[in-house]
Amino acid sequence: MRPNDRRYTQTHEWVKPDGETMLIGITDFAVRELSNGNEDDLVYCDLPEPGRTLNAGETFGEIESVKAVSDLNAPVAGEVIESNVNIEEHLEVLAKDPWNAGWMIRLRPERKSLDGLMTAEEYEKFVAAGGH
Amino acid sequence: MDDWRLITTWDAPPAWNMALDQALLESPGAPPTLRLYTWRPAALSLGYFQRFDDVPAAQRAACVVRRITGGGAIHHQRELTFSICVDLEHPLYAGTVGQSYARVHASLARALAEFGVEAQPRGEAQLSSDQAGTGMCFHDSSALDLVWRGRKGVGSAQRRKGGRVLHHGSIKLDTTPLEGAIASVADVRAGVAPHEFAQVWLRAWGPELGANFRAGAPDSSERALAKELVKRFEDPGFTRRR
Repeated sequence: MRPNDRRYTQTHEWVKPDGETMLIGITDFAVRELSNGNEDDLVYCDLPEPGRTLNAGETFGEIESVKAVSDLNAPVAGEVIESNVNIEEHLEVLAKDPWNAGWMIRLRPERKSLDGLMTAEEYEKFVAAGGH
Repeated sequence: MDDWRLITTWDAPPAWNMALDQALLESPGAPPTLRLYTWRPAALSLGYFQRFDDVPAAQRAACVVRRITGGGAIHHQRELTFSICVDLEHPLYAGTVGQSYARVHASLARALAEFGVEAQPRGEAQLSSDQAGTGMCFHDSSALDLVWRGRKGVGSAQRRKGGRVLHHGSIKLDTTPLEGAIASVADVRAGVAPHEFAQVWLRAWGPELGANFRAGAPDSSERALAKELVKRFEDPGFTRRR
């Protein structure tokens, strides 16, 4: 079972409340789909500068594996207050720990509600059905 | 049988080629689309994340554009270029990224076999075409790549966006000075034209991919979007953004 302290999107991002802010990252499923299970296959990641305002669903960054570039989408609206620049240089972190050390951005959300996003249980079913 | 739209655009300008592919990617509700094309003038395309200065051939190429797909640089001359744009829910793209490459490459391997080329996935083999420091797609390889005679002969990359995928690929029909020492169809049969390979590939697509191709064209909204996007691909600021 994936962590139930956060919510999930159909494009395989997670969002986790953290005090007055929210952390956003991508799931183990996304990492595995991109990398074929080989952490060295992740090659680039571009994350936004702090201060950028995002709408829900807006692309905030991009990640490249050996064979695919994918958008990273914001699950909720808010202002980027921090990017985890460490992972831009150490993408293996995403494969090792996508849930904690692999967080990508910290947002000051417009609203605290995570309504409309999937619970861990709902995401499990979504992935079991193919994840698309 | 799945109805596919087949778009062929021979000898189109480089920036337009890239703009049209992005427009087809950003076309929700469009039918599964296979586009087959060539370039005029010949151009070098950089991978989305590549640094211009990391690709020595980019300094020598007469025309350079940047793709929205990743991977290394490709010199688009003496090749058949393809793009596939479908929803990620399409069976061709079910499962992992690697599985989708395997399906597309299986059909290409069958087409190559029609020309006497024995292509197979690289797997763990070492390639003589691998060269450090060039930034060229065909000088770098992964286990999924199609190879023959110990060299890479098909380059490909995907962009996944908004529940859809753009799959770019280049099938080398002959080599060029900017990409020497790679595999091409000319290793076995010289003078194969892009449209000739295209016809064979369409027949080799195969029952497991189940495509019924119908000749088509971009619709009005795709053409309008491509017309807008072409400015970005003509912009040196985008080409040299990294």
